[in-house]
Amino acid sequence: MQNSKVITHDVIVVGAGLAGTWAAMTAAENGVKDVAVLSKIHPLRSHSGAAQGGIAAVLNNVRPVAGTGPRGPLEQIPPGDDPVDSFDLHMFDTIKGSDWLGDQDAIEIMVKDAPGIVIQYEHMGCVFSRTPDGRIGQRRFGGHSAPRANFSADRTGHVLLHTIHEQALLRNVKFYSEWYVMDLIIEENIARGVVAINVLTGDIHVLRAKAVMFGTGGYGQAFKVTSNAYANTGDGVALAYNAGAPLMDMEFVQFHPTGLYRHGFLMTEACRGEGGYLINKDGDRFMSKYAPDKMELAPRDLVSRSEQTEINEGRGVMEDGQGIFLDMRHLGRAKILERLPEVRDLAIAFAHTDPIDEPVPIQPTAHYSMGGVPTTVNGEVLANANGDLITGFYAAGEVSCVSVHGANRLGTNSLLEASVFGRRAGYAIAEFIKGGAKLYPISGDPAKKNADYVTSLFNNDGDELVEDIVQDLKNTMTDKVGIFRNDEDLKSAMADIHRLQQRFKNIRIMDKSSRFNTNLSMTLEAKNLLTFSEVIVAGALNRKESRGAHSRTDYPKRDDENWMKHTMAHKDEDGRPQLSYKDVTLYWDRFPPQERKY
Amino acid sequence: MSNKDIQRTVTVSIQRFNPDVDKKPYMQDYKIKMRPGMTILDALHEIKTHQDGTVTYRRSCRHGICGSCAMHINGRNTLACKTPIINEVEKDDRVTIGPLPYLPVIKDMVVDRTSFWEQYLRVKPWLIPPDNIPELEFRMSQEEVKALHDAEACIMCGACYSSCAVIGMNKKYLGPHALLKAFLRVLDPRDTAPSERLEIVSQADGVARCHTIFNCIDACPKGLNPTQAIETLRKLAQKRQKYEEAKRERQKHLNEPIPS
Repeated sequence: MQNSKVITHDVIVVGAGLAGTWAAMTAAENGVKDVAVLSKIHPLRSHSGAAQGGIAAVLNNVRPVAGTGPRGPLEQIPPGDDPVDSFDLHMFDTIKGSDWLGDQDAIEIMVKDAPGIVIQYEHMGCVFSRTPDGRIGQRRFGGHSAPRANFSADRTGHVLLHTIHEQALLRNVKFYSEWYVMDLIIEENIARGVVAINVLTGDIHVLRAKAVMFGTGGYGQAFKVTSNAYANTGDGVALAYNAGAPLMDMEFVQFHPTGLYRHGFLMTEACRGEGGYLINKDGDRFMSKYAPDKMELAPRDLVSRSEQTEINEGRGVMEDGQGIFLDMRHLGRAKILERLPEVRDLAIAFAHTDPIDEPVPIQPTAHYSMGGVPTTVNGEVLANANGDLITGFYAAGEVSCVSVHGANRLGTNSLLEASVFGRRAGYAIAEFIKGGAKLYPISGDPAKKNADYVTSLFNNDGDELVEDIVQDLKNTMTDKVGIFRNDEDLKSAMADIHRLQQRFKNIRIMDKSSRFNTNLSMTLEAKNLLTFSEVIVAGALNRKESRGAHSRTDYPKRDDENWMKHTMAHKDEDGRPQLSYKDVTLYWDRFPPQERKY
Repeated sequence: MSNKDIQRTVTVSIQRFNPDVDKKPYMQDYKIKMRPGMTILDALHEIKTHQDGTVTYRRSCRHGICGSCAMHINGRNTLACKTPIINEVEKDDRVTIGPLPYLPVIKDMVVDRTSFWEQYLRVKPWLIPPDNIPELEFRMSQEEVKALHDAEACIMCGACYSSCAVIGMNKKYLGPHALLKAFLRVLDPRDTAPSERLEIVSQADGVARCHTIFNCIDACPKGLNPTQAIETLRKLAQKRQKYEEAKRERQKHLNEPIPS
């Protein structure tokens, strides 16, 4: 099954969501003729397409109607009238949302690039919802002080993904659809290529490149209740870590407040942005206790903690008391059908509840990974906390950590991040290639090494099913590394993961065929889940404070003096995460740290 | 659904075929215990991970937005992730699953979509914008967005394509998915190639091949209407010159606010 034919491209991009496709398209537009994108699923199936609520940018198309308060209706801003939004405000909201762990120089770049990139999407043919005078519609979103979520009903990610994919096809970007990348080759701090399985045939190829870019997305599948697709198994972070790259801030995992009860599917924050309420068992809008100003539109970590507290204190709904109600009835039929058709469809299909008539049961769901492969603002991957780079290795989107989201991400900033930094990585890659980047030799026989590994997996006639290991991991991560963490649980989780890694040695793969073997790819994905989960727990154990999404009941306060820094994790010789720390870039005069209240 | 139903053991009958080892497709039965809220995709996952790892199908998002898991379930094409198993096993405690029809089978429920994607490319799915690009967004009215009838919501799952009797007989027919995409672009006020697009869909294997059988509407998991889109394209193709003139006129004002 190992194929001796080595494939060579100038640039190889792994992942065909927004970040990867922007990088590939931008590199192609800027003189790099030979760009190839590998994706383990068809590009249009990428999880970018599941994003719903909107993409943030200061466009000043819309403002609250005067005198109607912070939950009142919105109207288009007449030409010539004062703007309500600014780059400074978008920056401040993002910095505060990040609980002062976001790098402010990167955040500044992202918010300033935002209007241009949203307009570029529109010029490329994205269908947006519109104001009466034809401008891109904007709505309110959690943690944002002005309505800056540019939206297309509640399928914004879907329209962006389809549009950017079409544009990449127009520029003759080559797509390798259903190729599963199983190894990243970095030698002497230089990225040289990847090893991938052509899933259709089972052949394992080495693909050499002058530059490798990861746009591989997040890792919610490590948790039991998640909004994430089956495909979101953190392959990118695991492969980068195994290849010697560091991972940054992995302990910051976002739990989105409104996942559909039990299933975890995303019910966009826009449900609350358009006016929806969160109600407990007693019928109370409990957010008044936790965020009296922003209420349901406080940032996600705060809302999820509030929900979890209500649940833990016995005020949850549904038979097991693990749910909360999302009430949108007062929005009215017309608004729900126009602005939230997809989530209404989800509620009906999976919860047998029509949001027009009844409150929808929801619960916190593992949603986004703030942590990832650390990069510069141009997508160049860092080798260490000093800022040295790995030559020829780039990353953008959820797999990366720039960091623009710090300890907690605001909604609508992820579609933005993936687009902005995917594009910037594309420019950087083009400059790198045109500047004379070399095709470095690869030592040994990585195709054979990986093929032998696959053969060993096939021949491993153990008695563990991979799925049992995965389910046990999900339970551990959800119960012990979830919304509220403590030393005892985290240590127990680490022990669990080590045991699971041992159990993995005893697995049995049922499908040993070469043709379209998803049993094999799911097994490799399970190994990746175990790899990065260990890094998450290590970072969480060491960080003795609460900040953003990382909330410890034994260290409930934010500790800027000791912990306003990024966690960096390298894999040591024993295969364990070795932690170091990196400073946060702050504009002390403009955005000094404050207490984070909503 | 009572608790008795939920604990019920049912039969999932799956069409198996690995061309490397099988001479032809065959049915294989698996037994599973239903759980509350279990979908067909959940059932497949249970079978694959606990009983038979060789059962092969595509899937990703689990909630009807990625388009991966369209397959043939109890005689109709739909998304496995959005199909509750309890409804499907009413008759004989059994559900039958197979690949989407009219496409070559790679393995079990995984089909070769080469022709499906080629047809999508043939209609040039990308916008062809005007030369005069404004600094800010083009102005598109709420009515113009409504007129698209949510065509932009299409997830390219293939349920419509594999339900189309014309596709069954004529692999060269552009198909409801590509024609819906063409409709989206033809009606988009920002697109400057209506004549080229109408020409493409007016060719031998284009809109003329639709016999208004309506299977596509039945199958679409997003509630879209390819037949109506195709009908609109047909009409516009007949009045091509008039439509192009109207578009050119509209595009003179593409950068101006929509009048109230």
